[in-house]
Amino acid sequence: MTSRIILQLALSGLSIGSIYALVGLALVLPFKASGIVNFAQGEIVTFGAYLALILTGLGLPYLAVVPLVLIGAAAFGTVIERLLIRPIVHQPEFTLVIVTFAIGFIIKSAIRLHWQDNTFSIEAPFVGPPLVLGELRLNPAYLVYIATTVLVVVALLFFFGHSKFGKAMRATAIDPIAAKLMGVRIGSVFSAAWALSTMLGASVGLLLAPVIGINPEIGHLILKGLVAAVIGGFTSLGGALAGGLLLGLLETYAGAFFGATFKNLVPFGVLILLLLLRPQGLAGASSVRRV
Amino acid sequence: MHTRTMLILLGLALLAALPLIATSYYLYLVELAMINVIVAIGLNLLSGNCGQISLCNASFMGIGAYCTALCTTRLGLPVLIALPSGAMTSALLGAALGYPARRLSGLYLALTTLGFLELVGVVIEEFPEITGGIRGLKVPRPEMFGYSFQSNVSLYFFVLVLTMGAITVGYNIQRSRYGRAFDAVRQSPFAAQALGIPVARIKVIAFSLNAGFAGFAGGLLASVVGFIDPPEFGILTSIQHITFIVVGGLGSVAGSIAGAVLLTALPEVLRGVQEYSELIYGLILLGTLMFLPQGLVGVVAKFDGLRSAKPPAKEPAYGAP
Repeated sequence: MTSRIILQLALSGLSIGSIYALVGLALVLPFKASGIVNFAQGEIVTFGAYLALILTGLGLPYLAVVPLVLIGAAAFGTVIERLLIRPIVHQPEFTLVIVTFAIGFIIKSAIRLHWQDNTFSIEAPFVGPPLVLGELRLNPAYLVYIATTVLVVVALLFFFGHSKFGKAMRATAIDPIAAKLMGVRIGSVFSAAWALSTMLGASVGLLLAPVIGINPEIGHLILKGLVAAVIGGFTSLGGALAGGLLLGLLETYAGAFFGATFKNLVPFGVLILLLLLRPQGLAGASSVRRV
Repeated sequence: MHTRTMLILLGLALLAALPLIATSYYLYLVELAMINVIVAIGLNLLSGNCGQISLCNASFMGIGAYCTALCTTRLGLPVLIALPSGAMTSALLGAALGYPARRLSGLYLALTTLGFLELVGVVIEEFPEITGGIRGLKVPRPEMFGYSFQSNVSLYFFVLVLTMGAITVGYNIQRSRYGRAFDAVRQSPFAAQALGIPVARIKVIAFSLNAGFAGFAGGLLASVVGFIDPPEFGILTSIQHITFIVVGGLGSVAGSIAGAVLLTALPEVLRGVQEYSELIYGLILLGTLMFLPQGLVGVVAKFDGLRSAKPPAKEPAYGAP
């Protein structure tokens, strides 16, 4: 096993890991704001991909489709939050988990009704022959994935660190009642968290669609995002990023060294082990409510 | 006589007379409905009574189904041994999952069970020399004491008798001290602990019981359908099971029965618009959770003040003191 192969694997591990990280971030955001994990997030990814399919069908180029899909996803997220999530936000966790699951199920079946199980493809400028750099072959899509994720994380850190609304969101995450008393409109904070997270989800759809094609099963990716978020402890953005990258690397190396069976077992093995041994995630600030 | 006893006897008489009028296809549907009733009763003990989320109910069904199928095909065991061994294996694995998960609640439990579901699916698919992999496994008709249930009517009565048994067991568990302990753990784990209920052990028992019921139903499913494959035991099936108990009514045996029967019949009712049936399923689940959180049992209770199991309208959030 030469160092070239190790590097090559690291690159593909990081690129797939950055996709997992984006899904993980999309799961962590609304959880931090309102304590709800959106199990429909996978279908939001699917939604983004199909919205891109519709818009490219109208003859728009990929770069024009991107902002439109993001706006559409933000609107979709806000509507879901206002209509379906807010009325039940004080129900037991059982209801919350199953409701978001049901939302995802409904989106998926609606998509399947219209497009069946066919796989569609769309064009994007970053799909092309690999760039050769010395001994390494770089798939341009991989570079776009990693760059997008870095950009998103920097933007989020800036937003939460420096903008007024970002600070209000952080305050709400720490203590909603105190934030409300300080004049934060926590209703808008919840909506914004959902809009942001659905935008992230849809951006994953946008990134994946040109490379792996569009079909109703893209949403299955949510499992990897969940694992990424759990590795990071479910409450920290940096943790979700690190978790996603770590999972991507683990999966790629496991696949390369021990075969596909082992690769498929890795994410769920990691998930169960972590939840049972260290539910606060690898990084650790514990906020798991134990009973 | 009591109205409810009358209703039960009437229902039993109808079920017993059904083979006289129904075609074999409808018998098959009723068998599926009965199997789903068994699953729903088990899941309702865990989710409805004990308040624990499980997204891996389909896996336990699958474990039971595969174990029963392998016991009959590979080991040549009669169904009266194969079915219980499927249920027992599933119950043991349920306890094995419940033991480490006993301290997790809500969201983290959902994630653990989701991980377990995927893990079981991958294991079934990746060991095709034992499980048949994605090509599935053929299962012969059940056999006992040298008698093989080849005719559809005999198979129907076999399932009917076992289902009635399972309903009785489920109903009695729910009314036993364990059933009451489940309710106490759901309503307030802290209060339950203070009253001397071993909360952690009760949760493991609930997990194990649920897995046992699901595994038993899975074994029956394998015998009735004659074929099993991994997609049968995926997340869709788990959600379907949850829909049964949510629509029927959480924490009620009557609710489990009503939910499972109605929702098994639903695709038949929707036959003209088959392609919409998944969507309608999802909408029913969402609508029930949002507008009728107590399910059909709650609606019935509202209309005639029935004294059946009626959970309080507002429950404390999980783990809230």
